Amino acid sequence: MNGLLAGLAILIIGDSHMVTNGYLITTLHNDLTEQGATVNSYGMCGANAGDWVYKTTVSCGKAERHGTKPVQIDREPRAQGWTFDQLVAADHPNLVIVEMGDTMAGYGQQQFPRAWIYDQVRTLTQRIAADHLQCVWVGPPWGNEGTSYHKTFARVKEMSEFLAKSVAPCQFIDSTKFSTPGQWPTIDGQHLTATGYREWGKDIAGALDQLVSQGEIKR
Amino acid sequence: MSSIARPVFVLALCAALGVAATSNVRAAEGRLYPSGPPNGVAYLRFANLSAQPVKVKSAGGTLTLTTDGGHRVGEYDPVTPGSELTGTVDVGGKTAPIKLKLTQNELLTVVVTTGGDGAPLVTLVGDTPTEFNAQKAALALYNLDKGCKEATLEAGDGHAAVISGVAPDGVKRRLVNAVNVALAVACGAGGPGAVAKLGQMDAGERYSIFLYAAGAGLQALAVHDEMALLRP
Repeated sequence: MNGLLAGLAILIIGDSHMVTNGYLITTLHNDLTEQGATVNSYGMCGANAGDWVYKTTVSCGKAERHGTKPVQIDREPRAQGWTFDQLVAADHPNLVIVEMGDTMAGYGQQQFPRAWIYDQVRTLTQRIAADHLQCVWVGPPWGNEGTSYHKTFARVKEMSEFLAKSVAPCQFIDSTKFSTPGQWPTIDGQHLTATGYREWGKDIAGALDQLVSQGEIKR
Repeated sequence: MSSIARPVFVLALCAALGVAATSNVRAAEGRLYPSGPPNGVAYLRFANLSAQPVKVKSAGGTLTLTTDGGHRVGEYDPVTPGSELTGTVDVGGKTAPIKLKLTQNELLTVVVTTGGDGAPLVTLVGDTPTEFNAQKAALALYNLDKGCKEATLEAGDGHAAVISGVAPDGVKRRLVNAVNVALAVACGAGGPGAVAKLGQMDAGERYSIFLYAAGAGLQALAVHDEMALLRP
């Protein structure tokens, strides 16, 4: 344990990349814990940014993990989601990490739904800002093309560039910088293999370490 | 900054969004959920620039816009692009029909004014913004004065042009630093103007300034744009 993140109580919220053992709820959560942070992680499959502000039900699973305890997964088809306010009240974070982008990018649609994405993102970032919390937004990785998720590298690039301009006052971590298009194989075009999630988790943690070292994130 | 009354009128003018809630999504084979709103989104609002209250009616409900400052302009409601939306506007018992079809990502304002006989006049003013920046404020100037060939939005004591060349029934938009600066609208450089009271802008937010003619001369209405959230 290097202790770089000691003093940080981190709340991680995300989409389906946070809802299965071996995904970021395992790898990123472990990486941050090993650096001294207290970490509480939550994932809601299919949720958009606004769904973390206004309560929703999720149809493809939700998961939570607290400190060094195991991941708890709920695959009920109409599971009640959490709200951001609820999680802040429970876990008292001083840093929020949002991992989100794939659920909102409009993969498979000809037009990029920018006005809608901006409002979804803003709904969440303004709620985080209202609580005066530091935050970091992690954008989606490249994935693979040609599957039922209809991810294309062009759209992932467009979404990453758009999020970079839209997530302030959160800092933005661009996951596309961690690999080349298609370099990390996936199981379905969107969700990475176990190796991929270890790489992605390690790279996100490394980017966070840089933000802390540069004073952009205060412990 | 003007406050906006939340209208009861919701998403209607007839078009069903045709979008399933997160909990009712039937995923394509192998795919857990769609990405973004499946049918795309456009945004629609109404603005009352007349001297009387305006009632907008559709099969889905009624929206009333008063003549009280920021309450003249409703919030943007998400609608399905490509669907025909119909209704009526009523000013003082006189009505005019509405028939609209929006394109994806379009932000459309239906502006209601009145003619010499008091009958409502409906003007559609829309654009499809491409620039979004959470570190800047977005300002849009709407020109609803047919006698004003080129509307201008000016800032500060030096009357620096922030937005210029807006033709009648047109709109132009610009990202600016989020500051508190005196704004005014005018017709062309050096023309008569009207103060647009906006106050401190917030980074990431959007604002609209309407230039219109009423009574003695140019009028300006400045509002903070409100968006109703679509949750597909």
